[in-house]
Amino acid sequence: MERREFLEWLVATGGIASLSRLGLHDLESIGREAHASVAQAPVLDAHASALVTAAAERIIPATATPGATQAGVTRFIETMLSGWYPAPDRERFVRGLAMLDERSRAVGGRDFLAMAVSDQEIVLQQFDDEVTALRTTSPTQASAHWFAMLKYLTVWGYCTSEVGMRETLRSWPPPMRYAGNVAVAR
Amino acid sequence: MSAPTTQFDAIVIGAGLTGGWAAKELTQRGLRTLVLDAGRNVSPVLDAKEHVAAFEMPFRGLGDRVAQDARQPVQQRSVSYDEISRRFWTDDVDNPYSTSETRRFDWFRARQVGGKSIIWGRQVYRMSDLDFEANAKEGIGVDWPIRYADLAPWYDHVEKFIGVSGQAEGLAQLPDGQFLPPMELNVVEQHVRDRIAARYGRERVLTIGRVAILTAMHEGRAACHYCGPCQRGCSTRSYYSSINSTLPAAQATGRMTLRPFSIVRSLRYDARSRRVTGVRVIDANSGVEHAYTAKLVFLCASALESARILLNSTSTAFPDGLANSSGQVGRNVMDHIKWGGASGVIDGFDDRTTLGARPNGIYVPRFRNVRERHPDFVRGYGFQGGAGRSGWGAAANAPGIGIAFKARLTTPGPWTMNFGGYGEMLPRETNRATVHPTLKDRWGVPSLHVEAEWSANELAIHKDMNVTAAELLEAAGARTIRGAATGPSTPGGANHEMGTARMGRDPRTSVLNGHNQAWDAPNLFVTDGACMTSSGCQNPSLTYMALTARAVAHAVEALRRRDI
Repeated sequence: MERREFLEWLVATGGIASLSRLGLHDLESIGREAHASVAQAPVLDAHASALVTAAAERIIPATATPGATQAGVTRFIETMLSGWYPAPDRERFVRGLAMLDERSRAVGGRDFLAMAVSDQEIVLQQFDDEVTALRTTSPTQASAHWFAMLKYLTVWGYCTSEVGMRETLRSWPPPMRYAGNVAVAR
Repeated sequence: MSAPTTQFDAIVIGAGLTGGWAAKELTQRGLRTLVLDAGRNVSPVLDAKEHVAAFEMPFRGLGDRVAQDARQPVQQRSVSYDEISRRFWTDDVDNPYSTSETRRFDWFRARQVGGKSIIWGRQVYRMSDLDFEANAKEGIGVDWPIRYADLAPWYDHVEKFIGVSGQAEGLAQLPDGQFLPPMELNVVEQHVRDRIAARYGRERVLTIGRVAILTAMHEGRAACHYCGPCQRGCSTRSYYSSINSTLPAAQATGRMTLRPFSIVRSLRYDARSRRVTGVRVIDANSGVEHAYTAKLVFLCASALESARILLNSTSTAFPDGLANSSGQVGRNVMDHIKWGGASGVIDGFDDRTTLGARPNGIYVPRFRNVRERHPDFVRGYGFQGGAGRSGWGAAANAPGIGIAFKARLTTPGPWTMNFGGYGEMLPRETNRATVHPTLKDRWGVPSLHVEAEWSANELAIHKDMNVTAAELLEAAGARTIRGAATGPSTPGGANHEMGTARMGRDPRTSVLNGHNQAWDAPNLFVTDGACMTSSGCQNPSLTYMALTARAVAHAVEALRRRDI
């Protein structure tokens, strides 16, 4: 039983679990100026931002319901990178994103954004396969992989967006009653 | 001579779970009562944020990680801490405490009117004579000075007022109470309950959790609407918190004066009369000190804060802290040991799901050392948990991208049934809070150093949780049964800290008598978790509330008889 799973069952919080948190600082080492370390400047430049938007839309495309772009996933990822992740995670993500163009050139001879959607899917699927392979050999490395971060943030950003909650998941607004035995909606 | 506005019949220190009860009972018995709280005032309706959607939160429910790590490195470990509820937990920088390097203790704290009753788990269970007699029978700690019969009418009294939903089960080790209609077990929990009953009869029983959440209109408060995150407040006042329930009742008497931002630095003691004469208060905003006097003082600041106030109240008569002639103040820190148990997948219900967020789970009352003696440990544990289907959170790490992957996010996962144990912790004098020699809080009040660790008995209990949870899941026909692999929780982690000013029968070995009255100062009552002589394995808040109401009745009678 994972601790996250354990907490999910013990505390009904409307479906919001927490990401793995960082190592906890020693209480007495925490200064009052700790806020100063927050990165405030945008982390993603225009190109990186466009890469994230395109990749996120490939991960969660628009179908009968909105995709990642319409859900504003890139803005959420920018918020997380600039105001949530510590520097090493942030830097690993940005370095990894650069590999997207590198790999695209190796696979299809052009930058990621210049590729056809189907080719973008092939490149992203390669990274996804790498993460999947890592999950069996080294779960910690898998979670730290930049593509795992991108995918996780895409899912989180989408599933907590207004369109994601209202239209795709139909988890908002809450039903304001409890029923313990209803048919699964089709 | 003090100004009239500083004199009261009674002072209650802390406006949380028990302070609210002391305030209600004292004012309804005619006493002009000053209620002090270290933090700000909280409106039960205007400050409730339970319907803020994830998409309205800056970090979408993941919390402001940087601010949290900077200001609340301890508080954020609590299960009910989240992006919204974090404002109901203390600031760890302003309110430091220390532990040893190797023995961490999680001290979850709240400083506001309402205290931790805003963010508690709301599970309420009675203790029984199995609990009250255990110390005496086993020669552990000291004997409780009361038995179940002493407290039963006060459990009734509290339950009738706060509203408790639950299912009567007729079990001696977990007495039934005054219940509102129970919440519903979901389809899989009902299945598991029935399969466990078929295997274990009445020895191991699965029931719906007993919670201080309304399932029907009660005392002017509305029934729960199943939105989910109670820890963010409740605009319909459907769960018990002091701000939802007891403080409004106290206010209605016209005899309560509520003073927020009032940090009690120490209690004042008069050696000649052997009485507490009042309190010294620091205004949290201005830093100015004030003094208030009263005939009665109720200490309801939470187990460790109450011990801290006593230990910081030194005088010639009590150089080691007020009411501490026994040397027991700050000792016998107890909590409940968690993170043992198991989960398993239940097949056969894939076309069924649930609607709404039930803020409650299942409960399996203690079954170890009830009839038969377990070879490895004394006392026992109960299970909490429930059955549910995983959602998009579990699908996020699944392989794939694109249309098929998106479809997985909306497809409910398998039904998983989970049992997580809460185990009794024995009292030991070496588990102890002391005043730190140098560390002080933002207001200059000396902080605590806390030393607590599990004993072999608790660790044996924790180990057994995995075994019996797996047995329950096997009985239920579960597959892929996995025992908890996390190791035991950190002491303090259950947020059930207690025992630091225990009740007893002998002033030499206990701090309080059978009416929560300090042996050393008869007009001082300590009625929060500090008073507990043993921990039971039940969530303890209901017992604190019942003891508070009982202590007030005794105190007011004694005052009328001029015995105080």
